[in-house]
Amino acid sequence: MNDAGAAGGGGSQRRVRVVVVDDHAIFRSGLKADLDSRIDIVGEAGSVDEALRVIAEQRPEVVLLDVHLPGGLGGGGREVIAGSAPLLGSTRFLALSVSDAAEDVVAVIRAGARGYVTKTISGPEISDAVVRVADGDAVFSPRLAGFVLDAFGTSPAEIADDELDRLSARELEVMRLIARGYSYKEVAKELFISIKTVETHVSAVLRKLQLSSRHELTKWAAERRLL
Amino acid sequence: MTSPAQRPPLFRSGDRMIAGVCSGLAAHLGWPVKYLRIGMVLASFAGGAGLMFYAWLWVLVPTADEGARRAARRPASPIAPAVSSPLPTPNGPAPAGAPPSARPAVPWFSGRRFQYGKELLLGAGLIFVAGILIARQLGVDVPLGTLIPAAAILGGAAIAWMQLDETRRAGLVDKTKADQAGGWVRLAAGLALVVAGVLVMVSGSGSWEQTWLALLASVAVLGGVVLVLLPWGLKFWRDLETERSGRVRETERAEIAAHLHDSVLQTLALIQRRAGSEQDVVRLARAQERELRGWLYRDQAADSGQLADRIKAVAAEVEDTQGHVVDVVSVGDTVMGERHEALVQAAREAMLNAARHGGGTVSVYLETSDTGSEIFVKDRGAGFDLEAVPKDRLGVRESIIGRMKRHGGTAAISSGPSGTEVRLSLPAAGPDERNGEGRP
Repeated sequence: MNDAGAAGGGGSQRRVRVVVVDDHAIFRSGLKADLDSRIDIVGEAGSVDEALRVIAEQRPEVVLLDVHLPGGLGGGGREVIAGSAPLLGSTRFLALSVSDAAEDVVAVIRAGARGYVTKTISGPEISDAVVRVADGDAVFSPRLAGFVLDAFGTSPAEIADDELDRLSARELEVMRLIARGYSYKEVAKELFISIKTVETHVSAVLRKLQLSSRHELTKWAAERRLL
Repeated sequence: MTSPAQRPPLFRSGDRMIAGVCSGLAAHLGWPVKYLRIGMVLASFAGGAGLMFYAWLWVLVPTADEGARRAARRPASPIAPAVSSPLPTPNGPAPAGAPPSARPAVPWFSGRRFQYGKELLLGAGLIFVAGILIARQLGVDVPLGTLIPAAAILGGAAIAWMQLDETRRAGLVDKTKADQAGGWVRLAAGLALVVAGVLVMVSGSGSWEQTWLALLASVAVLGGVVLVLLPWGLKFWRDLETERSGRVRETERAEIAAHLHDSVLQTLALIQRRAGSEQDVVRLARAQERELRGWLYRDQAADSGQLADRIKAVAAEVEDTQGHVVDVVSVGDTVMGERHEALVQAAREAMLNAARHGGGTVSVYLETSDTGSEIFVKDRGAGFDLEAVPKDRLGVRESIIGRMKRHGGTAAISSGPSGTEVRLSLPAAGPDERNGEGRP
């Protein structure tokens, strides 16, 4: 958190140690070429078992994790996060997927991933996202924001009771702007708040998404097919 | 005499003396009832032939009601209704409950030939038997000892084969297999007849004791053979099953391969040829991705009548024509109404503008709630000044702002150096303005 102020753009002096987990070698090499100089790739894995081993060995700051992975018990990315549970304090997971299916995305987020991006994301964007996750922030793609809004509803929380099950008015605003394609910086500008505040809101939403016992959330995700 | 084609079907009549046989027959043949009755009585004195004939018809000929019910119950094949239709008539099948006289005439040769095949065969067989009996009466020596076993074999085989045919037909008509037990009984009866016939023929004697012993022995042999062959048969059956499921998988695979060939491989070939043009490559890849997703998840975007699907379809179209990625995120959904079509068209115009002038990825966000629908179209282009757009350019002014106003909605455009965003809002009902998401 030494250069939190530069979360949007830079932090060029620090290098983030990253493990890339994806079962397609072509995609891994493409991703390696795309990531910029802030990222230091210390390991690769192509299956659940391999990923668990490499992560335990390398203890990276960030794991770029494909949602769909062969091996293990068939749980894919979720299983990798669950298997690395003791490391969750120091290692953060950023889910990466071609699947836009809500059930997949919500499953890895609830397992403990700090964010979710689609594989079509550009090199600089994904580098930014990795740095942001390394700094302890959450990364929401427009689609994930859309899922959150769909799952939690678009009306703000009024009673303190269901604090975990609803989003506050401000969180809703942030989520809406992200869903509309705004970057954190643009959200901050639009709402006249600091980027740090935006990140706080996004992290709060992520926490709710992970902790909410809202039983509809899982049901909703399961019912929802491809988006 | 009337031709068979005009003849009404044979039913026992409701206008009756005893069982309605005579009047039914009269209606069928077109003869006066009186003559038939007299003839029947006279025939009864000839060794009781008339009585026999009457009783036979009584048992076998249905009443009009029964006939109609039976015709209605006969299942029609879903695969080939023309083949299994109980009454293949040129005027279409008669309604099941119609009185028999209302039934359209049935052409003898085309329709009835196969239905009566069994009866004709039976008749021929009976005539043959009668001929043999008469010949015996006249003193001709008929080798009954060979004829009876031969007849038994023929009959048994016929019964068994009929069963085969029947099950196949039943399989076509419906898979309930309700009368499978009957089928087994028939098969067993046919088999027993054939075995008995063969035995009698081979042993060449009518002696019961010998036949009985031979029967026992043969059953034992048959049992042994079954015991030996059963594992073989089961294995064969299982092999057949695996082979069949393998073929099903093969077909599936072939379908996937065909689809991949038609779409993905073609697109990859195109991409290789156009590798120089980044825009073309992106467009091709996106279009292929969309198509493949649609195929994999059966996500038919077209014509579902939902707003979100319409917006996605429009976005796909813009993506194809403009070569820029259009990302759609939707929250909530609603059934398309007339006013929603205006919203879709305005959104389409906004997407086109964004793709044309903005460049880069176009973000579309659709939110539908009880209060209405909102669409945000955002690009990351250089932006433009709405006031600076010439008055004669209809694009933004007419197709977006004007169109939304006409349908009771609003449109706002904010443009800056980091991009342009078009906000369209359509209240659910009535033109009452939402004040949630206006300009900040």
